[in-house]
Amino acid sequence: MPMYKVKPVSPADIKIDLPTCMYKLPNIHAQGMNCGEHALQNGEVDPALKALEERQDEVLRRLYELKATVDGLAKTVTTPDADLDASTLSRGPAESVFRATADLDSLLGKDLGALRDIVINANPAHPPLSLLVLHALLCQRYQVLSSVHVHSSVSAVPPPLLSCLGPRHIDSYARQRFQLGFTLIWKDVSKLQMKFNTQSMYPIEGEANVARFLFRLLSAEPQDPVLATQMDCWIDTLRSLNSALGRSPWLLGQEFSLADIVCACCVLRAGQTTSAPANVQRWLQSCQNLGHFDCVYPLLQ
Amino acid sequence: MTKENVQGAGEEEQQAQSKKALKKQQKEAEKAAKKAEKQAKLAAEQQETDEDDFAKDRYGICPMVQSQQKLDRALVRVQDLTPEKAEQQIWVRARIHTSRAKGKQCFLVLRHQQFTVQALLAVGERASKQMVKFAANLTKESIIDVEAVVKKVEQKIESCSQQDVELHVERIFVISQSEARLPLQLEDAVRPEGEGDEEGRATVNQDTRLDNRVIDLRTTTSQAIFRLQSGVCQLFRDTLINKGFVEIQTPKIISAASEGGANVFTVSYFKTSAYLAQSPQLYKQMCICADFDKVFCVGPVFRAEDSNTHRHLTEFVGLDIEMAFNYHYHEVIDSITDTMVQIFKGLRDRFPTEIQTVNKQYPSEPFKFLEPTLRLEYKEAVAMLKAAGVEMGDEEDLSTPNEKLLGRLVKEKYDTDFYVLDKYPLAVRPFYTMPDPNNPKYSNSYDMFMRGEEILSGAQRIHDAQLLTERAMHHSIDLEKIKAYIDSFRYGAPPHAGGGIGLERVTMLYLGLHNVRQTSMFPRDPKRLTP
Repeated sequence: MPMYKVKPVSPADIKIDLPTCMYKLPNIHAQGMNCGEHALQNGEVDPALKALEERQDEVLRRLYELKATVDGLAKTVTTPDADLDASTLSRGPAESVFRATADLDSLLGKDLGALRDIVINANPAHPPLSLLVLHALLCQRYQVLSSVHVHSSVSAVPPPLLSCLGPRHIDSYARQRFQLGFTLIWKDVSKLQMKFNTQSMYPIEGEANVARFLFRLLSAEPQDPVLATQMDCWIDTLRSLNSALGRSPWLLGQEFSLADIVCACCVLRAGQTTSAPANVQRWLQSCQNLGHFDCVYPLLQ
Repeated sequence: MTKENVQGAGEEEQQAQSKKALKKQQKEAEKAAKKAEKQAKLAAEQQETDEDDFAKDRYGICPMVQSQQKLDRALVRVQDLTPEKAEQQIWVRARIHTSRAKGKQCFLVLRHQQFTVQALLAVGERASKQMVKFAANLTKESIIDVEAVVKKVEQKIESCSQQDVELHVERIFVISQSEARLPLQLEDAVRPEGEGDEEGRATVNQDTRLDNRVIDLRTTTSQAIFRLQSGVCQLFRDTLINKGFVEIQTPKIISAASEGGANVFTVSYFKTSAYLAQSPQLYKQMCICADFDKVFCVGPVFRAEDSNTHRHLTEFVGLDIEMAFNYHYHEVIDSITDTMVQIFKGLRDRFPTEIQTVNKQYPSEPFKFLEPTLRLEYKEAVAMLKAAGVEMGDEEDLSTPNEKLLGRLVKEKYDTDFYVLDKYPLAVRPFYTMPDPNNPKYSNSYDMFMRGEEILSGAQRIHDAQLLTERAMHHSIDLEKIKAYIDSFRYGAPPHAGGGIGLERVTMLYLGLHNVRQTSMFPRDPKRLTP
């Protein structure tokens, strides 16, 4: 017996306007399954998951390697009969401190076609004078886009602090034309902090540490490990300043270095310039003559 | 069915009926007996009350205020009840927030807008038992006039906003009584979500609130939100007027859809139909061509978008800016961002109480920003997202989850909830956006974000009729429909740019709330047309 035929109520293909603001899910009723779904059905692992697992293994492997290296170093350092005696090492030729521009890519990570911005959070009550000097040096070496911001946690900042990085660059509207960004934010923080690539780098804290990082960008890190450790010593402590300066014009010998920058700033901030001994005064005068410290003096009032 | 059966059934029916009737009679008798008892009781009580009520003229329900007399009485606001007024006898008009009787005492909490104060009525030489009973039986939300002495308290009253004083009531009169059954309880409406679930107490869901908006708006939180919103509007106006802007009003009934045909409401207009304006874009630009240089307008915006999300409404208040500039559209970005920063600062400085009140029910991080505002370029954003593991093309538009992720990344690096993203790809912007002079794939357009959500979309507009026509054709737009728009640029037009924000969305994001209906007084969305 033939059955009743009912006319179709709605046309076969209805055009639906999907809203654009909502999340889209893949169509689970798609015609013709692709091999990915076949794989899933066969119990194989989804390729994205596999990639994630591989990344995890890679990270764990690097962690283990790092741990092994640190353990090795610890052993060599703590054993009483260490092979390396620092005093017997001959000092390498004192090279000029400021060589050609450093390889920014190796220090800051691959250039993804966008401005690489260094962010420094500082408390306006304790301006980081040494970083300002380093900024001036950086500007001579690279094209730096500098900007100063005031964070909402701070109510007011004296005008000299707003213009401490110098006048705004003419081309500051085109961020891509610069190699490096230097963003100084006056904020209510207890310790000075530097952030660069928040995904891969932990923030650096402390003015001395940030100064070391910036100095490395100037490729001015002395290759000689002896000099490097000496420099670190000077950055961290301020003893026998006068006696050391009696022996040589600069803290590390014949060349101006990061140690001179940081120590000079400490002394200037302490405000004891007039009562300082003769060698220190002479040394401060030499620093001033170099011109790198001009940005610092207006902030000392 | 045979006749006999019917008869039998009839008899049974009759019997049943008589049984029923009997039952009915019994019930009525019981009822009458109860009634009589009650009446006797009442009569007895009435006698009692009439006997002992020495305080009869110190309480009661006032006749409806029809402006019968002009009393020169100064009413003190609950907000102003502080220890400085101790021992003063004052009149207060407020609502009854709660009332609790305990033996010979009655504790009332009186509320006016965001402020509450405790009031005490005890049986004594000034108040009779009947008066205390009357006070305890008053319905919540009734408006009352109270004459009381302000007393300092040693222990702070934590549950009220006025913690250092309490009122000792002398006289209490009802100005407007409320019905006993309220559609929602105000205490439930201000309870934070988590607390409600933990202690098993009720909270009120959004639909109930919106259906009974008048009562929901009385809560301390709602009062705070809308006072703050009023502040946003005022700061917007004040800042722009100080910068030399002129406020304009643009028509909302228009002949052609401005942004795109799909999301527009149609209204019947005499013999034809017209549309409700989706944005004041067209008219802002015409004002610039008419030499007003810097204009802004505050008015409703209608978008017929069938989106039921937490941040879309069909009608909202738009705060729009348009400005002619000299050489570079960044002059306009600087102006807009400075306005926004002034608004944020103003809210932070002038409305700390309101922000605190809202945070009690909806805790959130305080809003952080930088001055001058951070401006990143689209390429930098793409680089940041790629570094965080997102796969996207260089010219792809940002999806909502990517925008939120970008907001988090920017917050991590720069610690700001507000920033500008500049130089969007040209392909994802409207036809009137000016292309980038150095790279035709990009444009002079920008978006501004608060807490990772977009609040403003703006750009340098094409002010050349020729280029505008080309771009419109490229986007397959019917030139006839926008003829008047293109014509306005044919007689000398200055280069200009601008953008617009939504008042409700900005308030919502500033306070860290999660649904735009909380910041819209009587919200409109695809499912809601009243109240």
